[in-house]
Amino acid sequence: MKILVAVKQVASLDEDFEIRADKKDVEEDFLLYDLNEWDDFSLEEAMKIKESSDSEVEVLVVSVGPDRVDESLRKCLAKGADRAIRVWDDAIEGSDSIVISRILAAVAKKEMPDMVFAGVQSSDQAYSSTGISTAAYLNWPHAAVVADLQYKPGSSSAVIRRELEGGMLQEVEINCPAVLTIQLGINKPRYASLRGIKQAAAKPIEEMSLADIGLSAADVGAGSSMSRVRRMYIPAKGRAQMIEGTIAEQAAKLVQIINEFKGA
Amino acid sequence: MRVKKTAYTLVDKAISSGDVYSAAAVYGISDGRRRKLLENMVFSKRKELLRLASWEHTPTEVLQLLSDSEDAFVTLRLCKNPKTPSETLTELYVKSFKDISKGVNLTTPIAKHQHAVTNLLAIITHVNEDLETLKAISQNPSANGQLLMELLSYPPQDEKYKVFDKNIASNPSASAEALKVIYDRGDAYARAAVIAHANCPALLLSDAESDSNVLVQRKVARKCVKLEVLANFVENKDTAVRCGVASNERSPQSLIKKLMVDSSFEVRRRLAKRYNLSLVDIDALMNDEDSWVRLWIARNKTTPLRVLKVLSYDECLEVRRAVASNPRCPVVLLEALAKDNNAWVRSAVAYQEKSPMRILVELAKESDIDVLSGVANNRHTPQSILQELVQSSESDIRRGVILNRNARRATLMPLLEDPYYLHRLMLVNNPMLNATDKLQLCEDPDFNVRFAAYSWFAGLEKSTKTWV
Repeated sequence: MKILVAVKQVASLDEDFEIRADKKDVEEDFLLYDLNEWDDFSLEEAMKIKESSDSEVEVLVVSVGPDRVDESLRKCLAKGADRAIRVWDDAIEGSDSIVISRILAAVAKKEMPDMVFAGVQSSDQAYSSTGISTAAYLNWPHAAVVADLQYKPGSSSAVIRRELEGGMLQEVEINCPAVLTIQLGINKPRYASLRGIKQAAAKPIEEMSLADIGLSAADVGAGSSMSRVRRMYIPAKGRAQMIEGTIAEQAAKLVQIINEFKGA
Repeated sequence: MRVKKTAYTLVDKAISSGDVYSAAAVYGISDGRRRKLLENMVFSKRKELLRLASWEHTPTEVLQLLSDSEDAFVTLRLCKNPKTPSETLTELYVKSFKDISKGVNLTTPIAKHQHAVTNLLAIITHVNEDLETLKAISQNPSANGQLLMELLSYPPQDEKYKVFDKNIASNPSASAEALKVIYDRGDAYARAAVIAHANCPALLLSDAESDSNVLVQRKVARKCVKLEVLANFVENKDTAVRCGVASNERSPQSLIKKLMVDSSFEVRRRLAKRYNLSLVDIDALMNDEDSWVRLWIARNKTTPLRVLKVLSYDECLEVRRAVASNPRCPVVLLEALAKDNNAWVRSAVAYQEKSPMRILVELAKESDIDVLSGVANNRHTPQSILQELVQSSESDIRRGVILNRNARRATLMPLLEDPYYLHRLMLVNNPMLNATDKLQLCEDPDFNVRFAAYSWFAGLEKSTKTWV
């Protein structure tokens, strides 16, 4: 039994930053990298299945990205993942989320997992499409925004609860193998133990090239993507204004604005 | 491993680690060639330079060093970093004139900075016409009374300067003179802020007693000492005005008695917080229909034991919890509340400093996280139980042991390997652990822990001065 967990190293920003010269992204020096928050939950869900199973379960984490991504993969290994694969080739630069899914699906075809978990979305790009597109490339069933999972390794189906609008949950039985995108709060992610961190430092991260997974440079990159970033910019200030005055005055103005919007 | 208490050893260790945060931590105890090496580490990567410039823990010596950077974004972050020292801000302001072509506005963040000295703020005020910068100064507590008075000389009839009055009325450095100017020409909001100000002169308070505006009356009600004024306020239609009287420490007993039957629970809640309630008043409030009124009575440190006992049976669990948390709660009540059917109430017993060991031993048999966290925190919990709680899978419980002032070295030692970085960070300053114990934290995988550990050792060196 094998669970493939697709993870992403995401970028966050400080208050002041510069846009890159080509205007397509933020200057690298201003980006702080960490593992995508949703992926912590995906990995934990896989670990829970592994730890509660009588049979052997392998948890494999996979990411697409340059060398710096190793740090996030090591974090996953430190938390108990058995193996980590990083796929990279300079030709991948500029790929949209659909192409990233093509790469993840190619890894899945090679590794033949019984389940694929991904986060509902990434905190930096928020396309919410990688997991679902991976399912499409694999021609597997999929379920999005999974808030609860009941699955026994080896079962031909799983029962999941999907989070809907208005606090509703939808209970779904899904055939396996399947791709699930995991929602925040489904579990309580663990911290990596110091021992785990030390062991992870010694574990190899398997680097895969495009050729290793049966793809070529022509299959990836901006040219093969269905969407391309044209520019990234800070929009002109809108109608927002600072409410000034004493604290009581600010509160009164705020109440007035709320009442105006409510039509009161 | 034996700890060598020399700064050079510590600095060399930081240098060989290659970690910029460790380097920043020991920079203040370095000198000569080693200092140069640390500077090279700090300046080696722009990414780290930017992070150190905005990080709230970066030592002041390092922030001073970073001010040498020619990077406009590093400089801007330094101007916004709340820890940047006064001298550095002054230097950055001077430098901003030389680097004006870089187009980054440093003046406004410096004008907002609470470490900007009054003289610097005065210079900025005199050479600057930018409204946002002047507004920042009017809100900055580092601006003295004289400077704030200068800002009040801007034409108040001009709409854009009106906000100066409001900002200064809320600025703790505003002088009585400035407050009088604002009060005399201000609207109700400004007058109310002036009356609420700690420096408000008695004369203005006296003037305001006849103010018909409810915003002003609310503030007067909290500070006024005149019986006739307060008596009028007790009849006021505005709940917040009556709340003001209920909160006013000098309100006489006769008025408090009237407010006891006030129709607003907000007024009665304010009364329940008073420390000079009569026994008759307490008896009345302990039976109030509003559970928050009863809760404040249960929390009140002047509430007699007889009342606490009654409230320990209250239907509202928050009231029972408040009884258990009350510093005057007797052990006999704690014994009873330790058997409460609600874990949230029992957790308050577990946290209560007066809970004796026998209660804690019983509570330690539970599985509820809140209860066990309280047991872990409590200084009366036996070490043997703390040693068990250290093994808990719940981080809140393990943190309780770290926060326990009586947790001994042997109890704390396993927590140096705690998976949660914050726990390891908290142990850096724990007096029960010695330098040898803490040495491993200098090599922690988390940069926050490494920085804290190196800073602790650097502080040790500074205090013993063995490195000079």
